[in-house]
Amino acid sequence: MALMTFPASHATFADEGGGRADLHQLRQKIERLQSDQAAQRHRIDQNERLIQELESQLRQVEAQNHKLNSVAQELASGNAKLKSETTERLEQFQTEITTEASPAGFGEAMSRYLGAHQFTFAGSAAGDFIYDRATSQNTFSLIFEPLALYRLNDWMMFEGTIQASLPVGSKADFELPVATAQVFLNDYLEINAGIFDQPFGDWYEDQSPLWVNRFITAPLLYGAEAVVPPTDIGVQARGSMQWGAIGQDVDYTAWVANGPSFDSALPTPVVGQTLNPQNNIALNSNGRAFGGRFRLYPLPLDAGLGRLELGASTYDGKWLNSHWFNAWGVDFAYLNNDLQARGEFVQSYRQMPASGPDNRQGWYLQAGYFLQHLPSLRLGEELDNTIHRLELLTRYSGVNQRAIVGNEISTIPAIGFSGSPAIFSPHAREVAVGVDYWIEPSIVWQTEFDFELPRAGGTILAFNGANTLTATGAGATANDRALLTQFAIGF
Amino acid sequence: MLNRTALALTGLLALAVLCTTCALAAEQSVEQRRLFVEGARLWPVYCAQCHNARPGSQFSPAQWEIITMHMRTQSIMPAKNMRAIKEFLQQAR
Repeated sequence: MALMTFPASHATFADEGGGRADLHQLRQKIERLQSDQAAQRHRIDQNERLIQELESQLRQVEAQNHKLNSVAQELASGNAKLKSETTERLEQFQTEITTEASPAGFGEAMSRYLGAHQFTFAGSAAGDFIYDRATSQNTFSLIFEPLALYRLNDWMMFEGTIQASLPVGSKADFELPVATAQVFLNDYLEINAGIFDQPFGDWYEDQSPLWVNRFITAPLLYGAEAVVPPTDIGVQARGSMQWGAIGQDVDYTAWVANGPSFDSALPTPVVGQTLNPQNNIALNSNGRAFGGRFRLYPLPLDAGLGRLELGASTYDGKWLNSHWFNAWGVDFAYLNNDLQARGEFVQSYRQMPASGPDNRQGWYLQAGYFLQHLPSLRLGEELDNTIHRLELLTRYSGVNQRAIVGNEISTIPAIGFSGSPAIFSPHAREVAVGVDYWIEPSIVWQTEFDFELPRAGGTILAFNGANTLTATGAGATANDRALLTQFAIGF
Repeated sequence: MLNRTALALTGLLALAVLCTTCALAAEQSVEQRRLFVEGARLWPVYCAQCHNARPGSQFSPAQWEIITMHMRTQSIMPAKNMRAIKEFLQQAR
């Protein structure tokens, strides 16, 4: 614009004879204008570049913003999902916590956890106080009988009993009365191999555990002067079946084992010699013993007449080559509500090398009655409760044998043995009465009074020195009394 | 056509397996209930014949599994009766 107006202005100044100064000013002005114009262009260029840069930055910012928005959306979405899942899991946990697991489900889970091979301990323990009048001995005593049970599967298991007792002195005795492997071939046949309780009558197998025996002592025929050995080492086959209505069963046991042996501490075998509790290695005879037991349960459960067992047992084996030891026995057991009764009769015959036969007999009859259903005596709730936990017991037992060996008589008391010398009489008789206080079904405080009433007859043999045997007639033997009290636990 | 037939057969087979499984489970449950009831009848008689009958709460189901096996040997009771008593002792807790 300035340039276009410049010629007109120049002519005016020339016409008017304007001075050089004016021209110079004009030029300067023009130069300034040109300079300003250049500066303006420069600024415009700068501004344009700046605008371009700003536009570029804006685009970047917008791109970043877009990206951030996208990430924020993803985060919001993820957060919502996480919240939803967490809530769902929490609800699930709360449901699981509040819902009680079913016993079957829990059982299955535990079974899986425990595995197929299972192991447990059972058994019993007892502490006694024993007093015998004839010997004036009284003592505390203790015994511990853990039973280890190991189940491999549903047809095979192993069991072993360790019997730890405290004899005279300060050391402990450890014995192994039972250690068997059991194989259940089917519902009707089972094989047992090892050292086992003698399957003869009911006593050794079923009644001998400390808390199971209603009394503290054993009947005379299964006590210090046992008529048949308490354990044997061999193999058994056993089984049972229901032959009629429910409750009408039969069972059988057949066995072969090492067989009997007698006290080898004596110089020569004699009548009345004590049976060894077991025969670990059968060197005394080349023939193995065998026997069987058969039991019948004739009463159906629904008849409401109780449960009756009738049994018969045999034991046959050579205690010395060519010399047999034979025994047979019959037994019964009856249970009807609070009444339980049982009894056995056993007869044994032993061939002797140089004398008449060594024959023995033994029997017992016992009964017990629980007072748990006795009507209230109105003596107060506590006393009534105590009375209802009582069981009253009585037992009569006896042994007949032609002789006893004086050297084998022991009057040292032990668990289940009062130490009374009257028990070793050839014709021993015992009346026992007892009271059991049942704290739990397998925890009992027992108290037993024994009246030893031996009869005259028989012979007392004694070895004086190495081989000098003296025989003395057993006349009237003094009666004896004993008191035993025991706290027994079955676990 | 062949695929449809195969699919239908597979579906029917799956349904049959499911029904059989359900039936077996129901049958097992019925059998367990029967054993439990029978065990409750037998327990006070068979166990108490030798000793006081111990309640199921004294041992865990796994322990009863072993102990009843041991007692089957000791008592020589019929196997089916011991199964019923075991079911009762394991469940009556």
